[in-house]
Amino acid sequence: MIDLFREISQSLSHNKLRTALTGVAVAWGIFMLIVLLGMAGGIVNAFNSSNMAAGSNYLTVWGGRTEKAYQGYKEGRRIRLYDEDQDKVAEARTPGVVNVSASINLSSTVNISTPSDYVTGSFSGVYPDAIVSDNLKLIHGRFINQSDVVQKRKVLVINKTNAEVLFKDPAKAVGQQVSAGSLGFTIVGVYDAEWRTNFYIPYSTARMLNSDSRSVSQLNVELAGISTEEEGKRVEDDVRASLAQIKQFDPQDKSGVWIWNHLRQYLQAQTGLSILGWVVWIIGLFTMLSGIVGVSNIMFVSVKERTHEIGIRRAIGAKPRAILRQIILESVVITTMFGYIGIVFGILVNQGLAIAFADQDWIKDPSIDIWIAIQVTVVLIIAGALAGLFPALKALKVKPVEALRTE
Amino acid sequence: MEKIIELKDVNKTYPGAVPLHVLKGINLDISRGELVAIMGASGSGKSTLLNILGILDNYDTGEYRLDGTLVRDLTENQAAQLRNRKIGFVFQSFNLINYKNALENVALPLFYQGVSRRKRNRLAMEQLERMGLADRAHHLPGELSGGQKQRVAIARALITQPALILADEPTGALDSQTSREVMALMRELNDQGMTIVIVTHDPGVGASTSRIIRISDGIIEGSGQSSTSHGAPQFAAVVNSFSND
Repeated sequence: MIDLFREISQSLSHNKLRTALTGVAVAWGIFMLIVLLGMAGGIVNAFNSSNMAAGSNYLTVWGGRTEKAYQGYKEGRRIRLYDEDQDKVAEARTPGVVNVSASINLSSTVNISTPSDYVTGSFSGVYPDAIVSDNLKLIHGRFINQSDVVQKRKVLVINKTNAEVLFKDPAKAVGQQVSAGSLGFTIVGVYDAEWRTNFYIPYSTARMLNSDSRSVSQLNVELAGISTEEEGKRVEDDVRASLAQIKQFDPQDKSGVWIWNHLRQYLQAQTGLSILGWVVWIIGLFTMLSGIVGVSNIMFVSVKERTHEIGIRRAIGAKPRAILRQIILESVVITTMFGYIGIVFGILVNQGLAIAFADQDWIKDPSIDIWIAIQVTVVLIIAGALAGLFPALKALKVKPVEALRTE
Repeated sequence: MEKIIELKDVNKTYPGAVPLHVLKGINLDISRGELVAIMGASGSGKSTLLNILGILDNYDTGEYRLDGTLVRDLTENQAAQLRNRKIGFVFQSFNLINYKNALENVALPLFYQGVSRRKRNRLAMEQLERMGLADRAHHLPGELSGGQKQRVAIARALITQPALILADEPTGALDSQTSREVMALMRELNDQGMTIVIVTHDPGVGASTSRIIRISDGIIEGSGQSSTSHGAPQFAAVVNSFSND
């Protein structure tokens, strides 16, 4: 075998330019495949760590206005959500629903001020689970806890940007007293979330500030064990049906309550990403295929150029399978060696991109899995063998005597 | 004498719009240890006969036995094996692989026998030494003279210790002096017991052999003793003269 590889290496190094050109075509194809797969992987990673991924097992329900008449009620009736609806929806024991909580978004804006500065925003009264449903990343202190809710504490969790305005260093915000109108609040935590600026306070405190109204802004329905869009759609319909029964509106009337199904949206995006993954594979494979076709093409030319040499080898006793083996192995060696170079460069570029895009949200850690690298290598070896097989079979159709006559 | 080549009523026709009947009932026996020239004009069928003898081409009808083995309906693998073990080829244009050095060219037939690299290099070097080319072992064919190339080709033909050497116009590409030296080498090998069949149209080459078989229009016209056989310089002297190339 070592002898055979020596023969192959001699044959390949005899025509360095041809070998190099073939190799570059293969290396480029593999390089592009690896970089494309890495980028696609980076986009998927970024998505999975984004707002959409976290909190994706929630339905957010808002009150609406009916569009259909139902059991003596006219259409256009306003459906409001109330505090007790949390329990009523939970008691419906809809499969897939594990928890229901409410939030109160106070409509009036409020100035949160220190002696030296102030920021403007609005209160959101929440339960502890809002940190998940709103996908908040806590960077200092803590979030609202159950004791805060039970004791109606005047504690506050604020956005990082607001904390910087008020205290320069967000870490120093925790434990600070601030004023909200005539009330004093203690900041207990600082969160980081790109699109949110709410001042989070305990649900019970918000209700108190809202004149103890039973009215709530939204219900947050936590789901579990849902993995397909169909299941997500079913649980959404079931929750709407429960509320339709509670609120006496047509279960088919989608305007009665508005439901944002985070999970369906997440799964749809996952489907989109999966399609993106396939598209990248297809583009990559075609790029690689063009490299392989290049190898096959060059192997055809190479075999044609070497017809005389093949004639000599056969005259002195090379069996057809020895010729076949040599040509196929030459092709496999070219594709594997240069393919490997392509893989290594692809991985290096992915690592470079990971550093270059470190502060970007749309891509995160562009890299490929080791199994994909192994699969690509196997595909390469098979493709290399096929690229060599056809020229080799063609070469063997030429009789030794005819091959010897070729110049 | 033991027959190494036996041809009985061998026919060969090349198909085409007008089929070409190249060999017409060839009957030929060559005994072990003979030095034979097959001579004929261009298109007489001598090269086709050589290709059939060398199992490089098939014949249509008749019978061909090489060293007792019936050469008929062989698979490509069987034909390759027979060529490798029984026949050494010497061609007009040397047919050396241009990116392999002399040693590697000579050793190549043993590669296809699965002989280890060390052993085949040793045997190849022995053959090159025999040809007076030890100092050229690592030279590429492009760095050798015509005579040296042909001696490398002869060394390659001998390395498997074949039953027969088939030479197709071995002096065709050489000047007259080198031609004489190559023929002296052939005679020397023949003196050592090697059976050699040379296809040539050169009467001088024919005269150096022990028997001339004349072929014309696909038919053997006659076979007879060469008029001036074996009046050649001895092998050592030939090698010495080559060494001065």
